[in-house]
Amino acid sequence: MELDELKYQLNQKLATDHASRTDADIAALLKKKTHSVISKLKRSLIIEMILCILFSAAMLYVVVISSYWSIRLYFGVFTVLMFGFTFILYYLYQRTQKLTDSQQPVKANLQAVVALLEEFVKRYFQFTMAILPVCFVFSLILSSMEPISIPEVDKFALHYFSARWQVLIFLGVYMIVLAVVLYYFTKWYLKKLYGNYLAELKQCMTELG
Amino acid sequence: MPSEKEFIQLLNEHQRIIHKVCNLYMDAHADREDLFQEITLQAWKAYAGFRGDAKFSTWLYRVALNTAITFFRKEKKKPEIYSSAQMPDYGHQDTHDPIEEQVKAMYAAIGDLSKIDKAIVMLYLEDYNYNDIGDMMGITANNVAVKMNRIKIKLKESTQKYMTPA
Repeated sequence: MELDELKYQLNQKLATDHASRTDADIAALLKKKTHSVISKLKRSLIIEMILCILFSAAMLYVVVISSYWSIRLYFGVFTVLMFGFTFILYYLYQRTQKLTDSQQPVKANLQAVVALLEEFVKRYFQFTMAILPVCFVFSLILSSMEPISIPEVDKFALHYFSARWQVLIFLGVYMIVLAVVLYYFTKWYLKKLYGNYLAELKQCMTELG
Repeated sequence: MPSEKEFIQLLNEHQRIIHKVCNLYMDAHADREDLFQEITLQAWKAYAGFRGDAKFSTWLYRVALNTAITFFRKEKKKPEIYSSAQMPDYGHQDTHDPIEEQVKAMYAAIGDLSKIDKAIVMLYLEDYNYNDIGDMMGITANNVAVKMNRIKIKLKESTQKYMTPA
């Protein structure tokens, strides 16, 4: 039996295999929360924007109260960076706002969702990676310009290192390892969050040509 | 501001469309419920943009298919294929009814198709012509025709797999 012959019967099966919903059931559904990826992304962007603003305020507070010039500079730069990142998040949020049109053709809808997710993943990754060198360079410059003596750290350094170059090598290796770990961790995390889903959507786009 | 009452009434009259999409795209009952809820919500959100240029059923198909295709499940359960245990219960089942068996086999074969092919089959089953299917999918009518031919071949082969030997 071919598809054409079964059309009517199959249609009946597909449409009747359910329990009908009443008006009240549908009205109740309208009050529930959506679980679409775009809605999740929106929620996540709102939370991240709030966190960014809170962190910026906290860092600004440190800038104001700290008596160390190096700490003020360090946290001041990160306040500006966080502020900038908040704008990136807001820009992405605005893009998700425009993407609530699920009545467009399937291909156009897929293209819009994929483009947004790719941009989100790209910006997230770029920001995380960009913050690392800033963090390292500032730590090195500022700690050498205005060293603060912490007894526990000094004790540790004296125990393991006999020369300054050894400390510098240790710090260099530590930063490289941390950067590599963070690079792969961020990639893995973003892939885990959106990678497989993006691949699935792209496969659908490829099918549509 | 769209009227909620009017929307609910329209959706109620056309809810078989959503059920069809849910049945085709989801195996587990809980997943179907989730998808039904998501399609209803997405339709409500998009309803303000419905200007009545197309029939409500056509518009709802578009929203439902877009939602089903981009629907994200955290843990993707492997079987998109219906085993006999997962097949929807059609009520009274006469195992000796060859038509019933063929319908079940075809249903299972459609379950094997990709998300895009399922959408095309669904619209084809609704008697939409290739131009309309093309408009909804965002591809040309020729492309739909080519795909439909391939799908028919796939289904013919795949249906055999699900038929129990007499």
